[in-house]
Amino acid sequence: MLNIEKNKDNDALVVSLEGRLDTTTAPKFEDELKNSLDGITALTIDIKKLEYISSAGLRVFLSAQKRMNAQGEMKVTHVSEAIMDIFEVTGFSDILTIE
Amino acid sequence: MNETKDNAVKIVLSGRIDSANAADTESEIIRQVSGKERLPVVIDMADLQYISSAGLRVILRLKKTNPDLRLTCVNPEVYDILDMTGFTEMMTVEKAYRIISVEGCEVIGEGANGKVYRIDGDNVVKTYKNADALADIQHEREVARLALVLGIPTAISYDVVKVGDSYGSVFELLDAKSFAKILAKEPERFDWCVREYVGMLKKIHGTVVPAGKLPSVKEDMLVRIRRAKAVLPEESGKKLVEMAEAIPDDDHMVHGDYHTKNIVLAGNEVLVIDMDTLSVGHPIFDLAHMYNAYVGYSENDPEVILKFQGFTQETARRFWHDSLAAYLGTKDERRIEEVADKARCLAYGYLIDWGNRHHADDSLISLWKSRLIALLPRVDDLAFEVKAGGGTDPDELEIEAAVDNLRKVLDFVDSRLDAAGCPMKYRMQLDLAVEEIFVNIANYAYAPGRGNATVRVEVSDDPVSVTITFMDHGKPFDPTKKADPDVTLSADDREIGGLGIFMTRKIMDDVKYEYVDGNNILTLKKDIK
Repeated sequence: MLNIEKNKDNDALVVSLEGRLDTTTAPKFEDELKNSLDGITALTIDIKKLEYISSAGLRVFLSAQKRMNAQGEMKVTHVSEAIMDIFEVTGFSDILTIE
Repeated sequence: MNETKDNAVKIVLSGRIDSANAADTESEIIRQVSGKERLPVVIDMADLQYISSAGLRVILRLKKTNPDLRLTCVNPEVYDILDMTGFTEMMTVEKAYRIISVEGCEVIGEGANGKVYRIDGDNVVKTYKNADALADIQHEREVARLALVLGIPTAISYDVVKVGDSYGSVFELLDAKSFAKILAKEPERFDWCVREYVGMLKKIHGTVVPAGKLPSVKEDMLVRIRRAKAVLPEESGKKLVEMAEAIPDDDHMVHGDYHTKNIVLAGNEVLVIDMDTLSVGHPIFDLAHMYNAYVGYSENDPEVILKFQGFTQETARRFWHDSLAAYLGTKDERRIEEVADKARCLAYGYLIDWGNRHHADDSLISLWKSRLIALLPRVDDLAFEVKAGGGTDPDELEIEAAVDNLRKVLDFVDSRLDAAGCPMKYRMQLDLAVEEIFVNIANYAYAPGRGNATVRVEVSDDPVSVTITFMDHGKPFDPTKKADPDVTLSADDREIGGLGIFMTRKIMDDVKYEYVDGNNILTLKKDIK
């Protein structure tokens, strides 16, 4: 169960995630991103309501980061303590811009 | 050549039929069917090597005068022509059976109805004793197909062949070994055999069969027990029949002859074979047949089991006991004995009837009778309950390794972690590791086939730590041997596949891999204090 909400303001896009980002829901998130990033220079992924993330989800973060490196910038906001731990153990805290 | 039998006109065609002789062939056929228009016609094509379109037109015209037309013993080349031109859809076309010899072939199995021979590395043929075996072959093929569709891994014959005076069905069984052989030759795999054997049995007993597809095992057993009643003391016979009649009807599958010669390991896959006795009914009937296979038939002669299964009476009895214990998910000997007694009531009833009809030794039949008579006073009903999932072990979950089951696995792990008071932050990390490993097993261990994974969660107090063990019997794979991905590389350059296992190793304090008895065993450990 993953809800994805998008708010676009010119070339800035905020994507808010709610629920679980795992093997079963990551493909949906990946498709959403793929179809929305054209012309975007500032991507914010708000994970305030994200309860769980697995490596399938992290992979999508990673490819989004790669794409945004080429066309602008990306940040991840409202990271809970539990997810921050995941980012840290996995080395993702060094790759992502976390606010 | 012309002979009429049962009203049907039999025509034999041989050699080549093409435009050069089609007209002659046609006048000969017309001569043979003249005055017998509308009667069924059977054309024997055993010696027909070739038929051209001119010849096919002759048969089409014959079909107009005699619509009930059957072509038999068609060789493969002619069959291809008939198939390509659509004739196989217009009329009954029966292929010629390939003739094979089993002389000098290794006998890999032997049942009540015939022998199973290995004809080459990949193929086995199951022969039938009775000369008119085609109906039996057809039946077994149909039930095997039904079982496969319902999710039971089995082998389906792909060809029917002529073997001597009877017929056989050919199966592809890649490098298959029966469990009987494994138990005889590799005693160190005893526990593995018990586990797989019981896992498959539960799968069979957990399968609901659509109404009317399979016969009732209870009906079959009742016929035998009612016959046995005649030779038993009145009270004993009456009680046995009444208890058997009272066993509730059940629409789940039973195998009917579930013993270690009918379970094979083919490559990495465990298959159940010999499906001709497949039925629906209460699991107690399968347990009764199992008791007979391991104990009943060989009760007074250890040579019998050695000849039948290839292992000793001691091994047979231990296998029966341990399988029943695993099936019931208990180590409680009283409970095991209680269900065993129920199975033995039916088993001895069956054997007494079998012994009478097969002129078994009187002393053996007397032994079975005395066992049954002694048993009956302490048994009051024959049904029993198996707990859902079978196990009484709340720390273990066995489930098909499929991504769709991920949620169930995580729910199970979470419930164990919650019960142990695991802090939220560790719960997510442990979930993540569990997801990685389970999804990995689901995607790779059995591909393109299917199989189960077992997940075990143990929490210890000092220090407070969680140990999660995954077990599967798929392809050997040691995730601890996988090199770490270079996390400094960009997403595109990075090996995506290794990320999950890398993270699992980062999260857990200890990751240990073993490959034992055909099982991948991965143990993850983490302190949660």
